[in-house]
Amino acid sequence: MSSNPQIPNPHLQSSSSQSLNFGSKGLRHGSDSEGFSMSRRDLNDDDARLVYVNDPLTTNETFEFSGNSIRTGKYSVITFLPRNLFEQFHRVAYMYFLIIAILNQLPQLAVFGRGASILPLASVLFVTAVKDAYEDWRRHKSDKIENNRMASVLVDHRFQHKKWKDIQVGEVVKVSANETIPCDIVLLSTSDPTGVAYVQTINLDGESNLKTRYAKQETLSRVPEKDFINGLIRSEKPNRNIYGFQANMEIDGKRVSLGPSNIILRGCVIKNTDWTVGVVVYAGRETKAMLNNSGAPSKRSRLETHMNQEIMLLSFFLVTLCVIVSACAGVWLRRHQDELDIMQFYRRKDYSEGQVENYNYYGLGMEIFFSFLMSVIVFQIMIPISLYISMELVRVGQAYFMIRDDKMFDAASNTRFQCRALNINEDLGQIKYVFSDKTGTLTENKMEFQFASISGVDYSGEKTEFYGEQGGYSIQVNGEIWRPKIKVQVDPKLLKLSKTRDDSISSKEIYDFFLALAACNTIVPIVVNASNPNEKLVDYQGESPDEQALVYAAAAYGFMLIERTSGHIVIDIQGERQRFNVLGMHEFDSDRKRMSVILGYPDSTVKVFVKGADTSMFKIIDESLNVDVVRATEAHLHSYSSIGLRTLVVGMRALSVSEFDTWQTSYEIASTALMGRAGLLRKVAINLENNLNLLGASAIEDRLQKGVPEAIESLRKANIKVWVLTGDKQETAISIGYSSKLLTSKMSQIIINNNSKMSCKKSLEDALITSRNVINVTHASEDDASSVALIIDGTSLVYILDSELEEQLFELASKCAVVLCCRVAPLQKAGIVALIKKRTDDMSLAIGDGANDVSMIQMADVGVGISGQEGRQAVMASDFAMGQFRFLVPLLLVHGHWNYQRMAYMILYNFYRNALFVLVLFWYVLYTGFTLTTAITEWSSVLYSIIYTAIPTIVIGILDKDLGRKSLMTYPQLYGSGQRKESYNAKLFWVTMVDTLWQSVVAFFIPVLAYWKSDIDGSSLGDLWTLAVVFMVNIHLAMDVIRWTWISHASVWGSIIATCICVIIIDALPMLPGYWAIFNLAGSGLFWICLLGVLIASMIPRFVVKMFMQHCKPCDLQIAREAEKFRNSMEITRSGEIEMNLPHR
Amino acid sequence: MNSNPSTPMNAHAPSSSSGGAGSPDSNAPRRNSKRPKYSRFTQQELPACKPILTPKWVISAFMLVTIVFIPIGFTSLFASRDVVEIIDRYDNACVQGSKSQKVQHIQSATSNKTCIRSLTVRKRMKQPIYVYYQLDNFYQNHRRYVKSRSDQQLRNRGDENDTSTCKPEHVANGMSIVPCGLVAWSLFNDTYSFSTSNNIQLTINKRHISWKSDRDEKFGSDVFPKNFQNGRLIGGGSLNESIPLNEQEDLIVWMRTAALPTFRKLYGKIEVDIEAGETINVVVENRYNTYSFSGKKKLVLSTTSWLGGKNNFIGIAYLSVGGLCFLLATTFTIIYLVKPRHLGDPTYLSWNRNPGGH
Repeated sequence: MSSNPQIPNPHLQSSSSQSLNFGSKGLRHGSDSEGFSMSRRDLNDDDARLVYVNDPLTTNETFEFSGNSIRTGKYSVITFLPRNLFEQFHRVAYMYFLIIAILNQLPQLAVFGRGASILPLASVLFVTAVKDAYEDWRRHKSDKIENNRMASVLVDHRFQHKKWKDIQVGEVVKVSANETIPCDIVLLSTSDPTGVAYVQTINLDGESNLKTRYAKQETLSRVPEKDFINGLIRSEKPNRNIYGFQANMEIDGKRVSLGPSNIILRGCVIKNTDWTVGVVVYAGRETKAMLNNSGAPSKRSRLETHMNQEIMLLSFFLVTLCVIVSACAGVWLRRHQDELDIMQFYRRKDYSEGQVENYNYYGLGMEIFFSFLMSVIVFQIMIPISLYISMELVRVGQAYFMIRDDKMFDAASNTRFQCRALNINEDLGQIKYVFSDKTGTLTENKMEFQFASISGVDYSGEKTEFYGEQGGYSIQVNGEIWRPKIKVQVDPKLLKLSKTRDDSISSKEIYDFFLALAACNTIVPIVVNASNPNEKLVDYQGESPDEQALVYAAAAYGFMLIERTSGHIVIDIQGERQRFNVLGMHEFDSDRKRMSVILGYPDSTVKVFVKGADTSMFKIIDESLNVDVVRATEAHLHSYSSIGLRTLVVGMRALSVSEFDTWQTSYEIASTALMGRAGLLRKVAINLENNLNLLGASAIEDRLQKGVPEAIESLRKANIKVWVLTGDKQETAISIGYSSKLLTSKMSQIIINNNSKMSCKKSLEDALITSRNVINVTHASEDDASSVALIIDGTSLVYILDSELEEQLFELASKCAVVLCCRVAPLQKAGIVALIKKRTDDMSLAIGDGANDVSMIQMADVGVGISGQEGRQAVMASDFAMGQFRFLVPLLLVHGHWNYQRMAYMILYNFYRNALFVLVLFWYVLYTGFTLTTAITEWSSVLYSIIYTAIPTIVIGILDKDLGRKSLMTYPQLYGSGQRKESYNAKLFWVTMVDTLWQSVVAFFIPVLAYWKSDIDGSSLGDLWTLAVVFMVNIHLAMDVIRWTWISHASVWGSIIATCICVIIIDALPMLPGYWAIFNLAGSGLFWICLLGVLIASMIPRFVVKMFMQHCKPCDLQIAREAEKFRNSMEITRSGEIEMNLPHR
Repeated sequence: MNSNPSTPMNAHAPSSSSGGAGSPDSNAPRRNSKRPKYSRFTQQELPACKPILTPKWVISAFMLVTIVFIPIGFTSLFASRDVVEIIDRYDNACVQGSKSQKVQHIQSATSNKTCIRSLTVRKRMKQPIYVYYQLDNFYQNHRRYVKSRSDQQLRNRGDENDTSTCKPEHVANGMSIVPCGLVAWSLFNDTYSFSTSNNIQLTINKRHISWKSDRDEKFGSDVFPKNFQNGRLIGGGSLNESIPLNEQEDLIVWMRTAALPTFRKLYGKIEVDIEAGETINVVVENRYNTYSFSGKKKLVLSTTSWLGGKNNFIGIAYLSVGGLCFLLATTFTIIYLVKPRHLGDPTYLSWNRNPGGH
């Protein structure tokens, strides 16, 4: 039960707590087995929901169940304002704005006027509210469409049309073929006499294949219109586990248990079944689909975590500045204590009333306190709260470009890149470890039957483009030609043998082998129209691609499955239709790693067919029957898996009447058990599956995806360690490792493959010594290609993970260039990711496509889902999703790199930008008797971070590119700058702060000294500072912009112009004290001289340091940039390089 | 600061892939491909200029700054040198005694506040000669002070009672004050009259010493002083109630509050040249109280240049920056010559420098 999240790994719990709970899902063969923990607990009436079938009134007496109308929209017209505001103020940033604004409203602290103090808050609230309102309006629109769809509901013994929103819990609904299920219903009966319904769950989990759902024996024969069903369903409370359901139904005094195979969820579509009737158990927002309709997981990027540390530092600076100001203010007041009463510019006493009182003076202590609070208000933007909002906008922009990247569009599956998590874009630029699943991620997960070994004979003859005569096998049904949808290449020898029907042993074994392939599965054949009207295609739908491949193979050899119901199957064997009763089926589970089906032959003999993984099958095969065959098969399996094929072993046993009877009774008891049904069924299966006769083995190829070897090579050049974690056998894993260039012949392999803790310990120690030796030798020979590869299997990991051996494994693994883990369970995958995550600071990325990768994807810093063949669970749990593994290269090397560079620069720049302004204000405060007067008008201080400087940083954060795509792809090593945190680190922060200090000193003191002892007024000097600071920050940005597009030009110079316009407008308002100041100022030469002097003098240190570093210690990015520009014979030296992605068109 | 969880980009985009385990001959045609529409913008391939500062550019930039800054620096210095400035501090000279005696003297209504100063002109002063008063240690930018005014009231006769921002000098004897507030209340009221040694009176032109914009827009022509300096504490000068505010230029100048605690305000202009060696006698009516907070009062006569008053700072600053840039230009030239680097040479890349290091 390792795949069942109900029993979570202790250290997994924390990270997965916010994420979706998709419950258990079987591995590759996808059985919907119930969890142990679920079935052991019986439902008592307190925590059950009671549903009276066809009696909605009694069911919902207390009106506690929701109706079926849904509301994904959050707001209504009336609730929009309060609710939206409430939600917005959940963010820290907005609270900060709000508190500052409230403080400012106190008359003692009124630094800014009312309007000016509310503006920053109001503007962000407004922008967010407009965005939310638009999104909500769209949701309302789709809700309306959804709620008004029609369904047919049983009212007064007749099915009548009703709108979806009027359906109630307890009502009986009828859904016809190709209709969507309006709410979660428990099946009562279907058009199929055995009570089977086929559903497509693409809307729910994206899996396009059909799943089977069953009506219970007790209800399936009832016709609701005539035969009133009077039952009571006790079901669990609504939950979001879409693969689990537990309930029982009391009907006619009998108690029947209901499981996940008896419920159809809202959003599924009925296929291949004329009609189904069911009773509503969950409706509206309580349906599992709606409960799962929540957003993407939320993670915090590494850069943001670091940034928060620096923000703490900035807060410390802020407090320091405020303390300095308030302390000085206290000293000043104390020194002038006696003069304050009548001093012209202070005038403590108020003489306007009869009584002489202190005006706005509350004693020295309070004054100090007030000046502290006032300085917090004035210096508020020291903490760049707007940065959080800019970062969100930048991430949206970056996501826009990632989604629309032509080179990450998968034409085969018609999927674009998806950004599900919007807050970890920049983490993509710092990845050090990639953990990859194999099947479906490195490979296509499009299974193709290749070879078979039947009773010790290997049929892996010549592989030709041979499909049998006339392009594959076909049969005649009612004058129509039916052929399988997919053609399979066949082995001519085997084809011939399979056609001969004699009583020889080999012919019989071949017959049984293919019969097993055709029967022992959960595949449903669906007949679809072909282009030729006389032809029909048989499409095999099932949850496991391996099974599909096997059934198509069987069909190609003349064993064509054409019908499956829950009670029987029909197989066309070499043109002859045969019907077999399916007496029982033990579905696949990850413990047994096999499945079995019990077939009743037309001649009433009973046989059990078992198919499963070799390790689990050889345990239950009766070796005494034919030792040579077993040995030969084992040898074939080994050779198959060493060329990277997936193998399955098939066995069979005839059941005697008594054996069958014992099995049948225990099977019936187990399958109707209320508690522990899955466990009981497993026990029954284990009792049955033994002493098998080995039929043979099959080999299926899962081809590598396009571009995987090149991608892995690029990643490794980028100094990213690629680990492959797979459930496959060691041999398969190693061979895939070779074909994907993960392993090379130069590497020395360390294989750890043990069965006990002691032996694990020993081999780890040996391996450490070996690896040290190899690395020493490597260093001596200076050959960088040879290195160590570690191959370790799941059994050993059981002993190593969560024990003291972990540390040794980590040490060993970090020495190895490649780590391959085979035969690992889903939770072990997460454990391996955690092994790295706990011990290093390096970023990890997990990529996978299946349900078994979900835990790993959630554990890693960045989770990437492949939207491939195996459903969408990995995608739903992931932060990013894409169609192909090879897109990882542009994602990390190009977009990740850009995102990181952009975001890192933007954060530093925002720190600088805000601190510069605050420092200029601060210096001035020292010249105003520490009273927090600002020469810069309050409107300019407010608009500074909203209009004057906001746009360029966002635009540059979205658009600037330090290097072109081509250079980044040709030199994967350039990715190292992100891994080494070159663009954002504590040193850079401090350098930036020192630079800021210098710039603020220049910006403040040049005008002060130039205008010292002159008749300059406050507003004019304020305007000069406003313009100087805005010009400075924009020129500072302009110096760092690498790629000037027209948009960058427009934003940088545009915001300078916008600032000038704003300053002019502010100074053209006669009710403000600074009326016309800018015009008088601009008329004097000294103003322009000051401005020019400030701009040049402030930028010199930065420019000098930058130029010096560029020349003497050029970083890789700098050199690559120069090479890009001067086209420096780069192509010639690197002509051998494989171009991964040619430029578009 | 989590991003709004309800808006994952493309999160629920349904997969329209027809699925079907690998169906190369799938007959379902792929309608509406989701391939992103190609544009240079979405592919981030907009034409762009990628400037790289080569040594040539760096040196030229420094040289350019040198070439621009050195001449400006010299011109500024010369301009400043040509300005003739006479500064006379008279607050202590006019009143002797301890601080409390001084305060008492200045507050007394009856004491004789006339004080005569004589200034020697060392260098010829060409007209117009600007007469300033300079206050030191007077925080006209104090927050209590700058806020205590009503710009509405100054503009509009109708807003006479708009005095809420003027506290604590908004009403006196129960009536609104026009102009209200501490700024107006503390109006500077020392007066100066000048005569040469030959007893020729030098007329001071006090017209148009304020900004035209202030006279035209900010101070109303129909707003007359009212109830001004009628409170129990007199802060400074009083105003003629028959002259509208826009003609009370001393008030207009005073109400443009200074940026720094040491400031000058224009008192008037002398529109004749004064020869070198001449002595000017100044009769000062020393009324303004700076004694209570140890402020200084100075009388300043100054000619002017294109750069304003006498101030060497800009000249020195420009010369320093210019000189520094010249130095930097030479330093970088030397660096580039001694240790040249071929731009974009891949051998400098870190993984090429130390092989095996990745």
